[in-house]
Amino acid sequence: MHNVWLIAKREYLERIRTKAFIIGTVVIPLVMGALVFGVGLLAAHTKSQSHIAVVTTDATFGADLKQKLESGKSTNMRVDVFSPSDAVRSSLNAQMKDKDGTLVGYLWVTPATIPGARPNYTYRARSAGDIATQNALQDAIQTVTTREQLVAHGLSNSDVDTLTTSISLDTSATGNTQAAFFTAYILFFLMYMVILLYGMNTARSIIEEKSSRIFEVLLATIKPEELLAGKIIGVGAVGLSQIGVWMLAIFVIANSHLAGSLGSTHAPVSLAQIGFFVLYFIFGFLIYSSMAAALGAMTNSEQELQQLNMLLVIPLVFCFAMLSVIIPAPDSTLAQVVSLVPFFSPLLMDMRISLTQVPPWQIWLSFGLMSLTIAAILWFSSRIYRIGILMYGKKPNLPEIFRWLKYS
Amino acid sequence: MPIVELHNIRKVYDSKVAVEGLTLAIEPGTMFGLLGPNGSGKTSSIRMMIGMTVPDSGSVQLFDEPFRRSQLHRIGYLPEERGLYKKMKVIDQLTFLGCLHGLSESVARKRAKEWCERLQIKEALPKKTEELSKGMQQKIQFIAALLHEPELIIMDEPFTGLDPVNASLLMDTLMGLRSQGRTILFSTHRMDQVEKFCDGIALISRGRLVLSGSMRAIKSRYPRNHVQVAFTGNDAFLRDDAIVESKPFSGGVDLLLSSEAAAQKVLASAVTQGTIINRFEVHEPSLEEIFIEEVKKSFGETEAVEA
Repeated sequence: MHNVWLIAKREYLERIRTKAFIIGTVVIPLVMGALVFGVGLLAAHTKSQSHIAVVTTDATFGADLKQKLESGKSTNMRVDVFSPSDAVRSSLNAQMKDKDGTLVGYLWVTPATIPGARPNYTYRARSAGDIATQNALQDAIQTVTTREQLVAHGLSNSDVDTLTTSISLDTSATGNTQAAFFTAYILFFLMYMVILLYGMNTARSIIEEKSSRIFEVLLATIKPEELLAGKIIGVGAVGLSQIGVWMLAIFVIANSHLAGSLGSTHAPVSLAQIGFFVLYFIFGFLIYSSMAAALGAMTNSEQELQQLNMLLVIPLVFCFAMLSVIIPAPDSTLAQVVSLVPFFSPLLMDMRISLTQVPPWQIWLSFGLMSLTIAAILWFSSRIYRIGILMYGKKPNLPEIFRWLKYS
Repeated sequence: MPIVELHNIRKVYDSKVAVEGLTLAIEPGTMFGLLGPNGSGKTSSIRMMIGMTVPDSGSVQLFDEPFRRSQLHRIGYLPEERGLYKKMKVIDQLTFLGCLHGLSESVARKRAKEWCERLQIKEALPKKTEELSKGMQQKIQFIAALLHEPELIIMDEPFTGLDPVNASLLMDTLMGLRSQGRTILFSTHRMDQVEKFCDGIALISRGRLVLSGSMRAIKSRYPRNHVQVAFTGNDAFLRDDAIVESKPFSGGVDLLLSSEAAAQKVLASAVTQGTIINRFEVHEPSLEEIFIEEVKKSFGETEAVEA
């Protein structure tokens, strides 16, 4: 046990000092936090401030539209209202061509020729891509005309206000589902990343020791099983430290007033979610890193490993494919079955826990199945490892690997 | 009572026989040379001695007991190829390896510093291994095998890649350890060192033991039929039936004679023919000559059997 501890300690200390670890641990959560909250804040607080012109014969409509666009809930535009004439049209056209001009477009309202029909709204924009302004304008016209019609039909202004107020669902009891979904997705992606990254790190570390022939020195004092155990524990501890920092950061950010400013009264990440994430990481890492250890012991170089790492990547990518099944119906039979498969549980069961109420027996079962799988893979890997690390040169073929399993 | 005893060990990798029926005993307090051409099974034999691989049949006894892993703390091992963490600092590396051998961290650190001072590479201590020259790395590896003060030191080709100054520094260190009563086993191609320093040798070829025993006993088995002659003038004396083989060098010739007695006859015939003899030396075969002869013989026999 002492030797396992020494190997794990060395692995941990050497890895945690690398630049890659520090960057991955500190910079990635910073960038992600900045992105999430940056986009959220921008979306919440940016109002359209474009400068447009409205040309109409209907002065009331012009004034209402101007009022709506200049001091509306989501717009803060500058609106000039004109009566139609050829001089106005050519002046506006000239302004649109002026490179330093602020005018981004103008609306030309042509009254309908048939009485009672809607007028014709023509919008000329400086840039066809300025969809935000167009949408704002469209919404405003809709609101203003509806209101005018309602008033014309004899409703009072206050009645109109009541009718046109938009409805918002109160989700404060369960938390914002959009935020919860977003969090679940981020956690899923993080899990995919760390399992693959640290699984591959285990394989790489074995290849490094193999190519530097340090094995020969180590095996002169300790058993291959101790070396393998120390390595997996060491690399896993690095992974745990990294996600520990990340989870702490996510939890702190999610519970800060910043999250509150996004309009959610519930923290998007719960302690239970973080706990399950850490647990599923440990089990997932053990499954994939012990597979990777066997791959590392079989190969001689990173290039050879690249050819074999599909074996690790395919089950993980399959989980991505299953997302389209799990997300819309996290309690379907298919979702329940695939999330219990040990190779997929770390990603899919964790995702289901974030999305729905998973029965506890399923969670227990997933951990039980994963434990059995880990034991089986470790049995297999340690045999491959024991023989493989002393084999240099050619890559073993399948019959040879089976023969290795028989050596005891 | 031998400190290392291999009894009839055999190891087969897939279809290739690496070691076949090897029996070997090494006495404590001696320096033992394991010789053999490339691919003859030296490294395979050494790996079985320290339990890195297990023989298919036969037994390994260390310190007069059947092999147990706990005995490994009493052994220092230097592998054939350098095995060090490239990115690790030398001092951390040595401390780590010392701890694996059962030392406490502070003792390992202290001894690492002392050894580096002794082998004149103190300046390497804070550096990363990859920044060091090959010779320096070899010294670090050498120190790593000795930190825990092992009773039995096993070194696989310790002198490859070292310049003569450093090679003799390491050799002197090993001699010093032997005089403290440690047992040293090393494999090498360098016959001159074996000839000068080893008490006993074993020569293996194609996985089989060809020759073993104390240096003196082995040499005495071979007739003193090698002659080195330095001469000027008439070389007619070289056409003698007693001369089996002659290899000229500048200013002379190396002769292999059919018998020890033939030397005097050759000398007499040279003198009568008026050749000026500058030097005429009868000597036993050098280890190198024995090596080449025996290895050739082992290959010849197997080929004859196969044919």
